[in-house]
Amino acid sequence: MNAIEIRGLTKNFKEKQALCGLEMTVPMGAIYGFIGENGSGKSTTEKLICGLIHPSSGSIRLFGKPHTDSDVRAKMGVLIEAPGCFPNYTVWNNMLLQAANLGIKNPEEEVRKVLKLVRMEGAAGTKYKNCSLGMKQRIGIAMALLGDPKLLVLDEPINGLDVDGMRIIREVLVDITQNRGCTVLVSSHVLGELEKVATHYGIIRGGKMIREMTAAELEADCRTYVALQARETSRAKALLSCKYSRVEEDESGCLRVYDQATPEEVVTYLYDNGILVSQLQTAKIGLEEYYIDLMKEGR
Amino acid sequence: MNFPHNRFGKRLKTMLKVDFRRMFTMPLFYIMVGACLVMPILILVMTTMMDGTVSVNPQTGVETVVEGFDNVWQIIGSASTAESTMSMDMTAMCNINLLYFIVSALVCVFVAQDFRSGYAKNLFTVRAKKSDYVISKTAVCFVGGAAMILAFFGGAMLGGSIAGLPYTMEGFSATTIAACVLSKMLLVGVFVALYLMWSIIAKQRLWLSLVGSMMTGMFLFMMIPMLTPLDATAVHILGCLAGSLLLGLGLGAISNQILKKTSLV
Repeated sequence: MNAIEIRGLTKNFKEKQALCGLEMTVPMGAIYGFIGENGSGKSTTEKLICGLIHPSSGSIRLFGKPHTDSDVRAKMGVLIEAPGCFPNYTVWNNMLLQAANLGIKNPEEEVRKVLKLVRMEGAAGTKYKNCSLGMKQRIGIAMALLGDPKLLVLDEPINGLDVDGMRIIREVLVDITQNRGCTVLVSSHVLGELEKVATHYGIIRGGKMIREMTAAELEADCRTYVALQARETSRAKALLSCKYSRVEEDESGCLRVYDQATPEEVVTYLYDNGILVSQLQTAKIGLEEYYIDLMKEGR
Repeated sequence: MNFPHNRFGKRLKTMLKVDFRRMFTMPLFYIMVGACLVMPILILVMTTMMDGTVSVNPQTGVETVVEGFDNVWQIIGSASTAESTMSMDMTAMCNINLLYFIVSALVCVFVAQDFRSGYAKNLFTVRAKKSDYVISKTAVCFVGGAAMILAFFGGAMLGGSIAGLPYTMEGFSATTIAACVLSKMLLVGVFVALYLMWSIIAKQRLWLSLVGSMMTGMFLFMMIPMLTPLDATAVHILGCLAGSLLLGLGLGAISNQILKKTSLV
């Protein structure tokens, strides 16, 4: 069974079509990285899943049930845009309020547990309005974790977090999916971080899902390339462009040759044309480059 | 995957718990109840001090005599047998019925805070049934409004003794006054349901909910003296209870539909 199944989802805002026939499948237990440009429809999709806005057409099923099912929704955690906290309440009181809202039996214990999980136990007595952006994000995540959710929807959860904060959130996400059977839908522009935890990806553009894949499929799909530094970069690039269809130069003046070129082949070719190679290595493109390539293809 | 079934009773209980906690930790609630206690004291003392004062309009030369309260109960209401006049003097304007307008601030701020803080997002994600929210908010704001009526009544009693006004009862008794106050408390339900509907329409736009509430509240305002006279009987209590329940249900159903059909963020 899938945690989220979206079929033909459309959402119109007056004259603007935010989503046009979106299809999405999030398997149970996955950490689903939801990627797209600003305004591509990520947040709209997340709000629709959470029942905060209504679809113009299409269906959303959560764990095989309609997304309006109150029993399923009671087992969701959410962080969209900002944590919903009252600014004049302390972190502790805000958390207790949400715990009471969820009908948790031992609210104090549960709140203490989730605050400890995101290393925020020391800030429990701080008024929410006095918290920094990073603290607020952690509080939002802690709040979403209350009540042992089975589905977590996180919109840009690592915005404003420091390196340690990002590591903690990564650990938490892995822990809850592997040990508590939770499914996580997470959208983020920090693709390098997302790549470290995501098991599945969905790439959205203009309100349509353009690609869905597992981390293994992404790994297989990410092309290797030969990176080299030559004495005469521009001549080397011109020469290589004659032989290979895709040659790029990065900011540091390093040349990248794609098309499954082998290092030996590239070095020999340049040597034969009188160009010496000073540095050479093979590398693989990451999620970020894969995403940029995909976006370029569509333009 | 099995999900535990949450019964209506359990859902409502948790929602009420949250809303009561919020209401009783909200400074505005205490400020308003405090104001309701102080307001009649100030009104009674000041109008008694100004009673009989003559002011002359310098342009027209018309003389106006300030009339104060004749007895304490006037600030609570008038008996149904009393002459009905649509006068706009101090005693007609400054009485307990003013609270039906003031309650709108409590309801509108209470609801607008949910949407402004983003708390509504957390709430409606885990609570698919919007009726829980409407019922709970109506009940909690009703209690808040009723507390304000009681505070005003207490203030009036205190203010009357400070101002040295008589507590004479003509055509009504302590029992009917209790029935009158109870009717007034029950009638708060009608106004709360109306204000809640406006707050839900306006969501985070507090100004809109306040303007809408005040304007529509004015139409219901006229019927308050008739429904809650000082010589109120069980019929008045039952009438106010029935009105509160019927309008509460009707307006609550509309509020529920608005929440279901509109965007919650």
